[in-house]
Amino acid sequence: MNNVKIPAWPFHLLAWFCPPALYEGIEGDLIQQFECDVEEAGEKIARRRLFLNTLRFFRPEIIFRNKFSTQLIDTVMFTNYLIIAYRNVLKNKTFSAINIIGLSIGLASCLLIFQFVSFELSYDKFNDKFERTYRITNDRFQNGKLIQHGTIMYPTIGGTMHKDYEEIEEHTRLMPGGEMNVKINDKLFRGDVCHFVDEHFLSVFSFPLLAGQRATALKDRYSVVLTEKVAKKYFEVNDGDYASLIGKTIYWGLDPQPYTVTGICGDVPANSHIQFNVLVSYATLIRPDNTGADDSWQWSDMRHYLVLKPGVDYKKLESKFPAFSERYFKGDKVSGSVEKFYLQPLREAHLYSDYEYDIAKKASGKAVWAMLVVAIFILFIAWVNYINLTTSRALERAKEVGLRKVMGALKSQLIKQFIFESMLLSVIAFLIALLLAQLLQTSFNQLVGTELSLWKVIGEADAFTIAVLCTVLIAGILLSGFYPAFVLSSYQPVTVLKGRFIRSSSGNLMRKALVVFQFTASVALITSTLIVSKQIKFMNETDLGIDLGQILVVRNPERTPYDSTFISRVESFKDRLTQLDGVTSAATSGPLPGRRLGRTFDIRLKDGAGTEHYTMSQFQCDYDFFDTYKIPLLAGRKFLASDHNVNWDKINTVVVNRNATALLGFERPQDIVGRQMTFWGRDWNVVGVVGDFHQESLRSPMEPLFFIPAYGRNATSIRLSTNDYQQLIPAIESAFKEFFPDNIFEYFFIEDRYKQQYSDEDRFAKVVNIFTVLAIIVSCLGLIGLSSYAAVQRTKEIGIRKVLGASVANILSMLSLDFVKLVAVAIVLSIPIAYYFMQNWLATYAYKIALSWTVFILPIVLILSITIVTVSSQIIKVALSNPSRSLRHE
Amino acid sequence: MLYISLTIYIQMSKEYLGEFEELVLTMVGILQNDAYGNAIVTEIKERVGRTVNLSAVHVTLYRLEDKGYVKSHMGGATNARGGRRKRIFTVTNAGLAMLRAMKEARMDLWKLIPQLKFG
Repeated sequence: MNNVKIPAWPFHLLAWFCPPALYEGIEGDLIQQFECDVEEAGEKIARRRLFLNTLRFFRPEIIFRNKFSTQLIDTVMFTNYLIIAYRNVLKNKTFSAINIIGLSIGLASCLLIFQFVSFELSYDKFNDKFERTYRITNDRFQNGKLIQHGTIMYPTIGGTMHKDYEEIEEHTRLMPGGEMNVKINDKLFRGDVCHFVDEHFLSVFSFPLLAGQRATALKDRYSVVLTEKVAKKYFEVNDGDYASLIGKTIYWGLDPQPYTVTGICGDVPANSHIQFNVLVSYATLIRPDNTGADDSWQWSDMRHYLVLKPGVDYKKLESKFPAFSERYFKGDKVSGSVEKFYLQPLREAHLYSDYEYDIAKKASGKAVWAMLVVAIFILFIAWVNYINLTTSRALERAKEVGLRKVMGALKSQLIKQFIFESMLLSVIAFLIALLLAQLLQTSFNQLVGTELSLWKVIGEADAFTIAVLCTVLIAGILLSGFYPAFVLSSYQPVTVLKGRFIRSSSGNLMRKALVVFQFTASVALITSTLIVSKQIKFMNETDLGIDLGQILVVRNPERTPYDSTFISRVESFKDRLTQLDGVTSAATSGPLPGRRLGRTFDIRLKDGAGTEHYTMSQFQCDYDFFDTYKIPLLAGRKFLASDHNVNWDKINTVVVNRNATALLGFERPQDIVGRQMTFWGRDWNVVGVVGDFHQESLRSPMEPLFFIPAYGRNATSIRLSTNDYQQLIPAIESAFKEFFPDNIFEYFFIEDRYKQQYSDEDRFAKVVNIFTVLAIIVSCLGLIGLSSYAAVQRTKEIGIRKVLGASVANILSMLSLDFVKLVAVAIVLSIPIAYYFMQNWLATYAYKIALSWTVFILPIVLILSITIVTVSSQIIKVALSNPSRSLRHE
Repeated sequence: MLYISLTIYIQMSKEYLGEFEELVLTMVGILQNDAYGNAIVTEIKERVGRTVNLSAVHVTLYRLEDKGYVKSHMGGATNARGGRRKRIFTVTNAGLAMLRAMKEARMDLWKLIPQLKFG
């Protein structure tokens, strides 16, 4: 028998699926069986039986044994735990409600913020080459100073780099085309944003193409790719038959050449940093008689994207760019400024861009991470509160614990019971949180201005994110259950049941630390709210140096050609407007207040001492502009009607602002009047100087500007003297239709448009407000727990004090003082924190409020009064109670 | 809902003992300190004349252990079985009570059957 060799491989198989704890017993039995079989039926059959016997152990009862442990919940006592948990929730309805609701609020806000954060972090990830795609960015220096930090540059950059550096796999260039003005048959459409992009665009970016050829759709001149939404609007297709649209033509603006539809792409995902409605082939820009859009080293409106070959370190490539600049720009000889080029990874385009002339849909990366921190904070506070409230109520459970121990319960069983109980509450809170998040979703979406959905986020999240989330959730639930469980289960039955029960002070210390932590957060948030709202108020109320009130803007008549009669037509329109009742004046201008202006880089002073070049922003307007916007004249004169000319080459007057005067080295405004400036290849007479005004929001400094008396694609600004728009606007519309037939009439108020620059701030303020309220609520919940606990614990002490003559007021102040001390510590901690963060936030503004100590007073007063009210409301019951009741059992 | 269904589940699993479970439990009781997989298979074959599979016995033993009717420990090493230790099962008080209760229940039922007389 002993000389028969037992085959080893069935046991390898067994070891693979069998839990280690069972392995030895089973293996031994199998061997024994094999040995019997060998004696009984011979080796061959025994081997077969061994194999079959082993295989029969491959069954769920064996494989999964000990994989799911039922040991966490003591199955015998489980029913009892459920009943007790249920009774406990019902016994103290207010307390349970506070506890569960506190946790739900925390979880719900966490869920919402998590959606927001993961959406913000998902930008551009739909692109297949996401990891390898980079934007080229360009800094320009003049006289050693940074004059432009932008994403725009010359049309040649991407292509030349591609030619020079083999690390580059692909490049594409883009120029924003603004809003389109489209005519199809007799219908006019306005307002669809388009970009000029070359044929590589759809290969670098993975926008889904519903019809057309990805590689060639944007190759030929006058080709357009429409998004699904625009295609439906233009051609009224409802059946999704987009292929039939290929080859259809549209007319853009005054261009007599039809544009051919060569592709339909799906609507641009909300999480793309490039947003558009229509793509136009880049080749359209390259005219046979002027190929500057293709080969100029001066034209400067193009954005470039590169795809690098796999494994290329973009920093290494970037380090070769100074040589590139020197090779093609030779210092500032070619473009008038020293050019530096950098690469920005596509993953940073949305969150980490501070570029001028940026087409990216932007958000602040810092703010997004701050939101995530806040979410974790809230969740942490909520859990802490839960711990706090549960342990503070432990007295009520003490007798239960004592009795259970007397009846033979082990400490481990009690821990299990309480962890189970808090898990149950957590699960209920989580379900309520899900419900809350669903209910608040719409309002939250409005607040953040994006279409978010929890299910979508979860559906799109990768396994890692989900694993992290689940771990956080489960760890939080277990940890928040563990501490109360540990505290509760450690009671000694003898002390508890005797009724002489005093709690350790170490638990108190922890609870106090938690309260300090919560209130630090609350005070810091209140202070931030205050500072943010002050800054917003300041921005809205600052004298801009320009009067934007009651100015209605009519958008430019794009379909009226600029010809010799254009100026007189505009002037007649303005005359007609000023004749209307309620219109004070009217003016036309290219740019409008609230928009980033274009820049001119090679300005010199004629007969100037040095040869330095200067950079200023440019502004085209007519002679009524300064009066209409009430911009003060400092020296010289404003534009006259005679400064205008239909022939562009004959315009030679310029007005500058105060900053431009200073830039060119003149101290007094009147000194520059009469001098000549040289730019755009000719000389300009400076006829006047106007005051500085805030062209952009108060985030940006006021720049040096020059004004050119020009008509063109100008919008008309109309100063009104009445609030009765009902009658006036139709009158303005009919005047517009009369002088500019075949155009769409669109208007808005400039003040609204200007204030849109602050939508980010408004949103930020709202979010901070909400968090502040949440933090206060949650902190107060914690305080309620702690103070009611303290009051109950000190009932007898209070009774004795009252007997000895203490008044209710005495007792109240004595007990509240403990908490006021905690809050005072929190205040001291929070002020530097709030100061630091708010100073950082304010640093992003060129014009801002000063942080004085007064902004810290209100939060302190507020939080102290909240504390006193909350604490007193809990203590007063005990303070008012008759001492004979609390003392009679002693 | 959750509460009720969980309660029902627990009560069901606690009370019920299947026919094979009862058989194995009885054998553990009979074999005293030498109840392990092979021994039980052999014992069932000898006493009841029923061939049972080793893995089925194992699974049943583990299930009985979960229910608290038997407990197990690893026996000392022997030279047989390739030196592998045996997992020895013993009946717990709860198991004994269960067996007794089942026997009595069966006896009570047996008494209710009209006594048949054979010829």
